Amino acid sequence: MRAKSIFLAALILAGCAGAPKPAGPPRLHAALEAENDGAKRYARGDFGMAERRFDEAMRLYASIDDAPGRTRNRLHLARTRLAQGRDEAALDLLNAAPPDAEPGPALDTLLLKAQAQLALGRDADAQQILAAATGRCGAACPQAASLNLLQARAALAGKRPQDALAHAEAALKLLRDTGEAVETGNAWRMIAAARFAAGDAAGALPAAETALDIDRRLALPEKIAGDWLLIGDIRRKVGAGDTAAAYQRALEVANAAHLSGIAGIATQALAGLGTAGSTSR
Amino acid sequence: MSLLTQYDADAEALRRGIRRFLLFAVLAMLAVAAAIAIRQGVFRQTTGYSFVTNSAQDIVKGQAVRIAGFRVGSVSEVSLKDDGHVAVNMEIDADYMRFITHDARVELRKEGLVGSATLEIMPGADQSRLAPAQARLAFSRADGLAALANQVRDEFIPILKDIKTITGTLADAEKGLPGTLARVRESADALNVLLATSNRQVEGIGGTAIRLMGNTEKSISYLGQTLETTNQRLPGMLDRTQQILDRTQQVLDHAEKIAAEAEASVPPILRDGSAAAADAREIVSGAKQTWPISSFVGAPAPAMLKPDSDPRGEAGRAR
Repeated sequence: MRAKSIFLAALILAGCAGAPKPAGPPRLHAALEAENDGAKRYARGDFGMAERRFDEAMRLYASIDDAPGRTRNRLHLARTRLAQGRDEAALDLLNAAPPDAEPGPALDTLLLKAQAQLALGRDADAQQILAAATGRCGAACPQAASLNLLQARAALAGKRPQDALAHAEAALKLLRDTGEAVETGNAWRMIAAARFAAGDAAGALPAAETALDIDRRLALPEKIAGDWLLIGDIRRKVGAGDTAAAYQRALEVANAAHLSGIAGIATQALAGLGTAGSTSR
Repeated sequence: MSLLTQYDADAEALRRGIRRFLLFAVLAMLAVAAAIAIRQGVFRQTTGYSFVTNSAQDIVKGQAVRIAGFRVGSVSEVSLKDDGHVAVNMEIDADYMRFITHDARVELRKEGLVGSATLEIMPGADQSRLAPAQARLAFSRADGLAALANQVRDEFIPILKDIKTITGTLADAEKGLPGTLARVRESADALNVLLATSNRQVEGIGGTAIRLMGNTEKSISYLGQTLETTNQRLPGMLDRTQQILDRTQQVLDHAEKIAAEAEASVPPILRDGSAAAADAREIVSGAKQTWPISSFVGAPAPAMLKPDSDPRGEAGRAR
């Protein structure tokens, strides 16, 4: 009872201490809240609800003629769809957007388009978009690391592992001391994949393990499962004995996170090794 | 002398006034007490009824008893019997006895999701005979949300099993779509080979004509075999397709039935869940803008998602 009274008194005193904050226009406030809620859900991996909230925010911003807010949420929405694997839907959304005058969002739009084209396997289209993005991004533009990583993915898809490795290493250099852990993990995964494709399996393994460490710290199931698949492939190439264990870990993570695509790949890989995987789905 | 006479008269008048005031006050108090007693139903004629239940959960003394939503009485006593059952006595206003038939039933209901529980007397079908005073009525508890959820779950499990069987049949490497497609692909490859062979042979006219004829004959023979195989397999494929369609139709019928039943039985509060969530969000949003909470909660700023050029970790997964 006493603690309750003290808490109440402290609450009232603290409230009195600060000057009342001016409330913004209600519609703008609602748009910002929807956007923030969407971002929180995106970070939690709740992409379905994040998409709805970003869509709501985009419409609210459009209703108050706030072009930057609408563009920002269109990009959030496209990223959410890409994370869901709905690449065509993301591309449609980005293509439907009017050309942006601001250089930052315009470059972000190009990078997301390239990402979607790469995911759809349209490497030539992706290359064209990346060339346009390179023209817009100077040496120190904030998106330079992401651009390099996408160029590395495009080079790897085009069977140019040495180019991929050069871009991935350039990205890693740009990411140093930036605190961008997600992109750093992507860079290490890309380095591992490029080295593996270039025939340097021994050099690829530590890079893949570094990527796995980062993705585990960030608790990103899809990437963790992907890292284990890559580690399994590399171990099989170098003739390490624990290849099946790596695929099994990929399968377990994929099953637990309901990632049917990766689970199927891991099961096939285990079958290729002659080890029966336990598909619990 | 005259002065003393005047004094006595004044004192007598004062005493009379005080007596009148006290009398009025006592009468007013009695009237108030009488009003309270009437309000509390002291003078109202009531009749007792009872029922027995396994548990006294959500039943308390003084709880309202209703008929068709009108309060007609209250629970007068809740007691634990020697056999472990709970006896509940109710006092019902005598005016409402005419609604309580001999086969009436008492049902414990909740007002909404988190509302208080009330006892509702449900008159029976036989209106010709009323329940006597002190009669023991039947008792039941209305289905809660958990029971409804379990019912819906029980209905959906067979559907999910059917869907699993169908998808299993479709995904079967030998008998399902992959096997069928593989066989169709084999046939298409054979036709391609045949066409390519024919093209090459047509170009080489003259000395190779005899060989060409022989090869063509072989190819046509192979084509004939391929067509024959396809003809043999087509009826089976069509049968399987028909079976799958039939089962899918059954599942859809089942799902439609469940959906119709759910629409009728699921409480309105669940149907309005979306609106309730929106209201809750509105309330929280409003609370955040209200002093003193607004002093602690900052105004939301535009959100920035962390850059991620490979959200699904696909790099290196070229399989």
